[in-house]
Amino acid sequence: MYKLLLAGLVTLLLVGCSDQSWRTTDIGDIMPKLDFSLTDEEGEAVQGEDYRGKVTLVYFGYTFCPDVCPITLARLGDAIRKLDEETRDEIQVLFISVDPSRDTPEVLKRYTHAFGPEFVGLTGDKAEIDAVTNRYRVAYEYSEANENGDYLVNHSSAVFAFDREGQAQFLVRDSHPVSDVEADIKRLVAKG
Amino acid sequence: MANNLPGVLIGRACQGMALSALTLLLMAGVAQAQSLEVTNARLSLLPGDTPGAGYFELQNLSDEAVALVGAESPAFENVEMHVSSEHNGMAHMHAIESIEIAPGERIEFAPKGHHLMFIRRATPLSEGDEADVVLKFSDEQRLPVTFEVVSPASM
Ligand SMILES: [Cu+2]
Repeated sequence: MYKLLLAGLVTLLLVGCSDQSWRTTDIGDIMPKLDFSLTDEEGEAVQGEDYRGKVTLVYFGYTFCPDVCPITLARLGDAIRKLDEETRDEIQVLFISVDPSRDTPEVLKRYTHAFGPEFVGLTGDKAEIDAVTNRYRVAYEYSEANENGDYLVNHSSAVFAFDREGQAQFLVRDSHPVSDVEADIKRLVAKG
Repeated sequence: MANNLPGVLIGRACQGMALSALTLLLMAGVAQAQSLEVTNARLSLLPGDTPGAGYFELQNLSDEAVALVGAESPAFENVEMHVSSEHNGMAHMHAIESIEIAPGERIEFAPKGHHLMFIRRATPLSEGDEADVVLKFSDEQRLPVTFEVVSPASM
């Protein structure tokens, strides 16, 4: 019983204490504001500023990826679905394609739709994609195409989180437990 | 897309033959493959034509090692065996030729690890459907397995 109380107290302290204690990786001081020039899944030119006003999660991937990308997005969707509706409305997830030649706005729209209304696909030309990936220091590389013309893309496995003003907050790595991810998303939304 | 057309046409023509061959295999496979057991076979698929991922558990009940060397399905133009891995914040995926299963061993194809990659649908498939797949082994064994089509959200 005492242990439980103590655990509760520690949790309260941790939650109440500071802005700095993300359970995932803090990137507040090392990553720039959310900014880019890309094309959304309606084919419209968009800027980073267009996505201010909501908590924004950003993931770099490609739709030809059958395993890591859909699983990562589905788990994010799960985490979001556990929140109450009001909180959910405060969140958007940007799926930035690192494979623009296959990921047209049409392909992206159908793809992100499967994960929930919070998900938006973004694509662009190579220079625009490179500008975003360089900005957030993520790499990507294409494998050689096989006899069917299919190629794979190695890409960042991280999810970047930004607050409503577009300031970088935390980064989710593959190794972070889902419970930590959920707690940090919730806290970021609550931060107002 | 246009230069893929001949391939698609040949694929369609072959499909009928492939189906009859599969039926034969299904009958032959049951008796042949009792030393191998597959459970929990799921095909994680999204709407559209993006590739799907096959997950399952496979146990080698025999007292001899056997290698899984590939898979095929009449529902897809191409099925590959892949491994996903993560190094220094990068997600990698590469094709593998075979995976050995020791006597008594149980291997798992699971999210973010080994998976079958199902490329280009030959028939429309959606959540709740079933897909026939044949697992191919080094000793010529062919094991028919029914995969349940699921959403990645269920993984
Ligand atoms: Cu794969």
